[in-house]
Amino acid sequence: MNPVPVQQDPPACSVCGEPAVIHQRHAGRYLCGTDLVADLEQRVAGTIASQQQVVPGDCVAVALSGGKDSTALLVMLHRLFGSRDDIRLVAVTVDEGITGYREETVRSAADLVRKLGVEHITVSFGELFGDSLDTFLKGRKAQACTICGILRKKALVAGAKRAGATKLATGHNLDDEAQSVLMNVLRGDLLRLVRDSGRESSGRFIPRIKPLTYVQEKEIATYLMVQGIWEDLPECPYAIHALRREVRSMLSGIEYRHPGTMLRLLENKKIIETAFSGKAGGEAVGRCRECGDPCSGETCQLCQLLHSLGR
Amino acid sequence: MFKQPPREVVREHMKLILPDRTIRVADPVPATVETILQREGINPLEVMVSRDGKLIPEDTLVSGDDELRIIRISHGG
Ligand SMILES: [Zn+2]
Ligand SMILES: [Zn+2]
Repeated sequence: MNPVPVQQDPPACSVCGEPAVIHQRHAGRYLCGTDLVADLEQRVAGTIASQQQVVPGDCVAVALSGGKDSTALLVMLHRLFGSRDDIRLVAVTVDEGITGYREETVRSAADLVRKLGVEHITVSFGELFGDSLDTFLKGRKAQACTICGILRKKALVAGAKRAGATKLATGHNLDDEAQSVLMNVLRGDLLRLVRDSGRESSGRFIPRIKPLTYVQEKEIATYLMVQGIWEDLPECPYAIHALRREVRSMLSGIEYRHPGTMLRLLENKKIIETAFSGKAGGEAVGRCRECGDPCSGETCQLCQLLHSLGR
Repeated sequence: MFKQPPREVVREHMKLILPDRTIRVADPVPATVETILQREGINPLEVMVSRDGKLIPEDTLVSGDDELRIIRISHGG
């Protein structure tokens, strides 16, 4: 046997003293794998309880792209509610049709639901809108995330309806949410935060819930890694065109040097939500003239988009 | 950029496996993971780092024989 090289131990877990796997800078402590898993599951259960995101009788559609966030979300929700008779979980996967990217994540999603024994519904852009995202984006790659976002939102809701869901859970994490606040500021459209929040659901929307809102991306990745469910998946090829990419890199740099920045950015969202509660961003919610979906103008974003795509 | 070390001290140099799977031999000083990442222009929040297959926080001191793997946390959920 080779002599064991002298190795410096990592910092000790602030809870149990075992070697830590992560430095939670926002909380000023170190955690080992076991305590990180416990911490995240406790915090997510806390978010769900405090906002009454899931209540007895709910059927929760869990948006499952197969990427890290949605994988962690489904694992956590399954641990929390998997054995409950009064709460049903259904995973919903949207296949946008992105060659060289979606195949792997769709397979990862299928593997996970099989392992957990969760119901699974897949909806594709092809069946819903007549073509793949790759086709829609020919000559308009710069708008990729905007176009995909509108179509995917519709597809998710279609899947959730098919599941008979009363809630739609997505894996948006703290980084995503903080980026969105900043992006809306940069676009001069802060009130979009209120319009998109889906909180003002008056029975016409399936309410959206985001149980991972207060969990950092790195915590989620580490959560999966220490449990052996991390998969190194490709990044969406269209993401290079997105403003989000620049905002993400800038914001994570600031967060590293000034821990807590992301949480504080989210505070702005709460302030605006409170200020505009019940006003839906000053716009009355009506119905789309063409498809009947709830929208703020005459025609919804989706119908406008489909026209511009020549559908 | 790196001086080729004499053979017998090669094992004293740290092996760095970058997210794109290229392998780099890092300077043989005891340093924190954070320092090493910063030299590569990597924000510790955007990666996980493992040593001999075990994740370690960015303020862990590494040196000599250590083999570090840097795993990029890609966006997308
Ligand atoms: Zn511990
Ligand atoms: Zn419409």
